[in-house]
Amino acid sequence: MTAIMQPGFWVFILTMAGIYGIFSLGLQVQYGVGGILNFGHVGMMALSSYTMAILVISHGINFWIAAASGVAVAALGGAFLGLTTLRLRGDYFSIVSIAFSEIVRYVIYNSDNLTGGVQGSLAIPVIGDNYPSYTDTWDSLVNHIRDFLQPRLGDYVDRDFVMGVLVWITLAILLLLVSRIEKTSWARVLRATREDDDVPAALGKNVFRFRLQAVIIGSIIGGIAGIYWGLESTLLSPDDFLTLVTFYGWMILILGGATKVKGLPIAAIFFGFLYGGTRFFTFWPFSIIDSSQRAYIRIMIIGFALIVLMMRRPQGIFGKRQEMVLE
Amino acid sequence: MNNLLLEVNDVAVTFGGVRAVNGATLDVAVGSVTSVIGPNGAGKTTLFNLISGAIKPTSGRILFEGLEIQNLPPHKIAERGIIRTFQGAKVIKRLSVLENLMLGGQNNPGDNLIGFFSPRTRKAYEDQARDRAMELLQQIGIERFAQDYAGILSGGQRKLLDLARALMANPTMLLLDEPFAGVNPTLVEKLLEVLDALRTKHHLTFLLIEHDLETVMNISDRVIVMAEGRVIADGQPNSIYQNQAVVDAYLGTRKQSS
Amino acid sequence: MAEFVQLLFNGLVEGSIFGIAALGISLVYSVLHLVNFAAGDFLTLGAFAAFFFVTSLHMPFIVAVVLSMILGVVVSLILEFLLWQKLRKSGAGMLALFLVATGVAFILRQTISLVFGSNSRKFDLDQLTTYEFLGAQIAKTQLIVLCCASVAITAIALYIKKSTTGKNMRAYADNSSLAAVSGINVDRVILATWSISGAFGALAGVFQGTVQGQFTNGMGLDLLLSILAAVVLGTIGDAYGALIGGFVLGVVMELSTWDALFGGIPSTYKPVVAFAVLVIVLLFKPEGIFGVKARKI
Repeated sequence: MTAIMQPGFWVFILTMAGIYGIFSLGLQVQYGVGGILNFGHVGMMALSSYTMAILVISHGINFWIAAASGVAVAALGGAFLGLTTLRLRGDYFSIVSIAFSEIVRYVIYNSDNLTGGVQGSLAIPVIGDNYPSYTDTWDSLVNHIRDFLQPRLGDYVDRDFVMGVLVWITLAILLLLVSRIEKTSWARVLRATREDDDVPAALGKNVFRFRLQAVIIGSIIGGIAGIYWGLESTLLSPDDFLTLVTFYGWMILILGGATKVKGLPIAAIFFGFLYGGTRFFTFWPFSIIDSSQRAYIRIMIIGFALIVLMMRRPQGIFGKRQEMVLE
Repeated sequence: MNNLLLEVNDVAVTFGGVRAVNGATLDVAVGSVTSVIGPNGAGKTTLFNLISGAIKPTSGRILFEGLEIQNLPPHKIAERGIIRTFQGAKVIKRLSVLENLMLGGQNNPGDNLIGFFSPRTRKAYEDQARDRAMELLQQIGIERFAQDYAGILSGGQRKLLDLARALMANPTMLLLDEPFAGVNPTLVEKLLEVLDALRTKHHLTFLLIEHDLETVMNISDRVIVMAEGRVIADGQPNSIYQNQAVVDAYLGTRKQSS
Repeated sequence: MAEFVQLLFNGLVEGSIFGIAALGISLVYSVLHLVNFAAGDFLTLGAFAAFFFVTSLHMPFIVAVVLSMILGVVVSLILEFLLWQKLRKSGAGMLALFLVATGVAFILRQTISLVFGSNSRKFDLDQLTTYEFLGAQIAKTQLIVLCCASVAITAIALYIKKSTTGKNMRAYADNSSLAAVSGINVDRVILATWSISGAFGALAGVFQGTVQGQFTNGMGLDLLLSILAAVVLGTIGDAYGALIGGFVLGVVMELSTWDALFGGIPSTYKPVVAFAVLVIVLLFKPEGIFGVKARKI
């Protein structure tokens, strides 16, 4: 119970909400604009965070280059996915994407030498050794900002607070960029392809190219979310990248109204509270079951929420009903 | 040099054992209006799909401006200047009428990501395209719906929109799939007017599909009759009436359908 | 040689399980245009239900298996009435179907986890008896699974081919609106489809649990990737294709570990092989191995 009283807990929730918001924004570009159903989005997050961590820890590469490489690998993952299946019917893409993210996780899980495997030991420094953690460069940046802000704003500005602020600034910038993208003729062609491929093709638009670009842009945004994920959790484990996470992203997207970006940050915060808040159902009647069982119930609640949302309000909280039903 | 814009040479295509188009040969002269007529199942729409690249022929060649196009994807063919409309008119229902039109613009700098980083060029193009689109909407008389979802338009209005959208692409040649079917007579008059203006002012070349000869009699320079995937007659509109093969094909289907 | 025979046999056993599960998914897809992401968890449900009937209620194994298949049918039908029927009526799109299927998967899996925990379980069967065949060691359980699977596959193939409902199912899958106006009992077709999918999902789960020796709450999810690959391999929506796709994939996955074949890949990477096969097929023959390239005009 006490944790709920701590401001640090709420900072954590909001930071996670921001990271999930960025993650979900990648899906927004793909589905909200192009109608592409990507169920393997978490794979991009896994690719970028592991690439970043491996490059820093095992190869001593500069953090910023490593982070950029991580995002680039996520983009390549999206390109691979798109090149294999985007020419085919939409459901093929969905099936292969979900398989793709599971394969990424599976390979991470089984490649102990590269990733630390199931132990997720990648980030843990060997005792007595000054083996670097991948967060060193980032931490010093965050600490600088904290040292700058704390005297000016007050004691509540700690490391986690600064992290949260940076996440939300990133989300705000990306939201602005994506809303710009959505006003271009590029997005107009993609919105046309949600309904029909023949019309844009007959007007000289290479539908495949547009879709591929949307998937790659979405994957880059997913990759950025992955970098933040790695920095926030400071220790990577393959279990961070379950298919479940992709569906968290979908839930935020649907809640916010898939075709508009403006509802997304609010939906992300809403989800953050739903997700984080249920961790603290430690009072009766939840107290009669142990913590691992509460984890099961939490995912069940997410499942119920997905079903109820799709049955009752598929256009989300902010979406337009008209756009869903127009024939 | 000849004045043939489009040449279709012995083109055939098979779907699951059925030859939908079976050795069709025809050509279209620059600046002409050529109509393809024939009973249902004659392979007219399949012929259009072949020319516009929606399907690939099993054999045969299609030349546009002297270059082979039969293996190009649809968007490449459209880029060369062949723009088609669809049977029953396809509009993007969840885009506004104006947005539908603006889809037709060619070489839009905003279509690629490099264009994203030069907002001024992008905006200049969009402004120009919007003006042109509004002009076209006025011509076809549906400018009052510009900001509405295209899904609210009636069937006839959708046809007009489909045509106007094709014109946005500044085509060399227009393929019109049954432009008059199911359109009320006043609207047909309007369509004919628009087509005539395009032909005389902009020297567009037309290839039309229609079900009946009567509809296209007055506007066509040439009529091609198809039946069972083949061209069975080809000539001046008047000469078609006297063609025995055509009479048989039509009477044959009329008997079946009645 | 002995190793080859061993792997081939293992592959056939695994393939028969993939095939049965893939058939259910493909059938549901062809009739209802729904990719059932919850299918993997029906396998888990089947295995754990059978385990419960045997261990806690002391039923004979055969009875337990039949009951677990019935449970699979019941759960499938409940979902049909609670969810799928309503979604169809409201004209829900692909996204809604996908997400609801995922929600169902979460709820099923977590319910199983809640009841049985995350420990691994095993059926009380004779896991040790093996027979020697051309130098390969063939477990009695494997042999039984392969025989039962063959019987089940034959039965279902005959049902789809010969029975009225089976014929209607195919007609409905080919052209739903035509089938509906020509007087086919659509409700019966849909219920039969879910029943087959539910029963066979549970059966595949029992088979997998038997062959693996022990199983956990994640069993079905781990298999889902391979099963989906089998479905795509055999052309989505083609029930017979899915069966054959399952066998092909099972054999390819096992043989990929064979030493004589470029040293063989580590057996933990078998699912990666499934994914690679899936991608290669999609790149070079996207209509599936048996699909005919037909386009509607």
